[in-house]
Amino acid sequence: MAEPVVRLRDLTFTYDPDVVALQDLYLDLHPGDILAVFGANGAGKSTLCYLLSGIIPNIYGGTRMGEVRVFGEDPWEHPIHHSARNRAIVLQDPETQLFMPTLEMELAFGPANFGVPREEIRERLGWALKTVGLGGLDRRNPKALSGGQKQRAALASALTILPGLLILDEPTSQLDPLGSTEVLEALKEVVAGRDLTTVITTHKVSEMEGLANQALVLHRGRVALQGTLEEVISQVDRLEEVGVQAPPLRQFFHLVLPGPESNSSDLEGAAGRVRELVDGGRLEVVAPVGTARRAPARPAAPLLQVEEVTYAYPGNPPVTALRDVSLKVAESEFLAILGQNGSGKTTLVKCMVGLLKPRQGRIVFRGEPIARMSVGQIATRIGMVLQNPDYQLFSVSSEAEIRFGLDNLGLDPREAGERTGEALRLLGLEEHRGVFPFRLSFGDRRKLAVAATVAMGPQVLILDEPTTAQDYRGRYLLADIARDLREREGRTIIMISHDMDLVARYAERVVLMLDGRIILDGPPEEVFDQVEVLARTYLKPPDPALLGRMLDDLGVPRGTLTPEQLASIFRPGTGVA
Amino acid sequence: MRTVFHYIERDTFVHRLHPMVKLLHILLTLGLIVVPYWPTLRDLAALLVWLGLNAVLGTVARLSLRQFGFLAKILLGTFLFILLTQGFMYRGETPLIILGHLAIGGGVDLVITREGLFFGIILCMRMLTAVSALPLFVSTTPVSSIMAVLTSLRLPPTFSFMFVSALSFTSMIFEMWSTILDAQRLRAFDIESMNVFRRLSRAYVPVLTPLVLMLFRKGNDLQIALEAKGFGAPGPRTQLEVLRFTWRDGLAAAGLVGVFVLCLWIKYA
Repeated sequence: MAEPVVRLRDLTFTYDPDVVALQDLYLDLHPGDILAVFGANGAGKSTLCYLLSGIIPNIYGGTRMGEVRVFGEDPWEHPIHHSARNRAIVLQDPETQLFMPTLEMELAFGPANFGVPREEIRERLGWALKTVGLGGLDRRNPKALSGGQKQRAALASALTILPGLLILDEPTSQLDPLGSTEVLEALKEVVAGRDLTTVITTHKVSEMEGLANQALVLHRGRVALQGTLEEVISQVDRLEEVGVQAPPLRQFFHLVLPGPESNSSDLEGAAGRVRELVDGGRLEVVAPVGTARRAPARPAAPLLQVEEVTYAYPGNPPVTALRDVSLKVAESEFLAILGQNGSGKTTLVKCMVGLLKPRQGRIVFRGEPIARMSVGQIATRIGMVLQNPDYQLFSVSSEAEIRFGLDNLGLDPREAGERTGEALRLLGLEEHRGVFPFRLSFGDRRKLAVAATVAMGPQVLILDEPTTAQDYRGRYLLADIARDLREREGRTIIMISHDMDLVARYAERVVLMLDGRIILDGPPEEVFDQVEVLARTYLKPPDPALLGRMLDDLGVPRGTLTPEQLASIFRPGTGVA
Repeated sequence: MRTVFHYIERDTFVHRLHPMVKLLHILLTLGLIVVPYWPTLRDLAALLVWLGLNAVLGTVARLSLRQFGFLAKILLGTFLFILLTQGFMYRGETPLIILGHLAIGGGVDLVITREGLFFGIILCMRMLTAVSALPLFVSTTPVSSIMAVLTSLRLPPTFSFMFVSALSFTSMIFEMWSTILDAQRLRAFDIESMNVFRRLSRAYVPVLTPLVLMLFRKGNDLQIALEAKGFGAPGPRTQLEVLRFTWRDGLAAAGLVGVFVLCLWIKYA
């Protein structure tokens, strides 16, 4: 067999001074191989990408032991512009990868650096844009593209180098479901029928089905699982142990029939398999219709009311983001707002906290319009945690960070001290009291942003996209905290999210937005049952809900939103071997 | 601020001009305001002629004054400061406004003189002339053409790229600034309602801390993105855009030089 494109032998890499990022790694990749790399944050996925692309050792330094060969060359022996001739990397954040004023210039940047003739660059440019589905947009400013388009543009700009090795570091982690789908479709088009070796890191295991043929699971720098994709993702328990979430349908099968069986993750296959198991007597449906539904939420007094609000961003012409929106949020409710980017979700919550002032309509908190409240008054009633915590941290220590808001409220030092201590305790940050916030991990920075908001005592807590760029466990961190606050202190939670699984597990009411309007409002079981309406917003109910619908005729009730709920409908039958 | 330094896509005579001609316009503008001057009506007339030319070019390029609202705010404050300080400080002979007498040292008369005020006006006009030329270049020339013209002047690619990055980072800084201000309002900290002194003493440090740290991070990411695409590879770099100098560009350049000579004649004749 020809020499592999990537060959790692007993590789250990340590960032200076002593942070071990990868340990005892062996890997061979041949032309056409597509490797999916899974692992929690800090598992070593990005380090592997940097090693293969030459970013390590050329930009980030460290100590290596063992062998690294990419196209037969050791990255330690060549400058990065040499490595860049045959490999390309697409990073997580599309914003920082697109630095040119037009797509044409962006895509030409790589080949132009290598002196590729002008006509050939134009040919590559046209091909790459067409391949990723951005044909005809070559004069467009990349900053004006949607999230999915930006990441596809980053992919196209990697392709114009004509790499033999394509490395993608969490290419969908910051995208909404539509953007993720666009990028994955483009990627399938890119790899189809080519001898392009590809390495993709991701937290979303189910995205790799039908794309990758090999998989590697890293845990604290070491290999936890390695093999074909099928071999790896069928290890549901082991994946769970190392903080990687198996696809929901795999979880379902694992719950109803634990064991090393190979089960389909696609809906059609899964439905067929369940029927086969039921027909063979290995599974029985036990729950009568309707048992999966949650008890209806108790009626409660409206706390926050949005009354016929219309908002338009200034411009020529103005961009209307909210159109006559009305919404009542009750005391102690856990509400999720769904919708694609640009549907008006963030504009709506920004109006709720007074960051935007609607021209028409009003927002009322306990009967009082928030337009009449000061910034401080709003902050003590409605708190909001932004998507990126780094914009919300301004102080020299975690303690000072929480005190920042309390001092702005003019609280006396004793009370401010007590509230600070309580918030640190509530979020488990006591040991980081004196630490500079930017030295905390991403997860802890998010917790600190919540602590600083909660300390101000708002009755309503708004979380904007709490799962962005988070691994499996990190995704649930803020939602768990929010649920605790609701259950223990009766606070109202409003959560904006694209994560259907998260919404299915936590929310008791779901609002769906499209083009600045609310188009669905109800319990998650009802909203997720409106498959056609959701499809208009490019959203898809969780897989267990769809599988439940497909198994209607077996007596499976509607509204089974999580693998656990769906599994509770079945029990092993007498036909179990 | 963003629109001042952004290319505004239109199909006008000014947009179609060769960037070298627009660079010549900037050079002539700078030339006009750095040549020795005296606070005379002739000097003012020369500046007005050049400003008039800029206004005509701006109109032809369909640039609206509203686009420069932010810049105008900054300039108005600066002009007011210059007029007041020059009015008081310039050693003029003709009192225009007498505000009083300060008994400091041997006594100081608080007088705005006519010569001082005129000198201030000339200074403001020179500043306005210089500032008005920049959007005529940046707002009417695609960055690809700017890079092409800088390369044709044999400037190193790093220099051209620094120019492009500066434009990109300017808009990024404004977006980040705005998000940080929002985050602070959520914590009951309202910088916009504070006066200048309170802002200086209390407000800017909490804004600058996340801003600077995030800019370092973005800068690092940008370095990775650039170098991973072969930036700095040895050998000649391909220039995608080919610029062609036409007879119209020649005529426009000659016209600019003609107006420049006219201004010099008004100044010195």
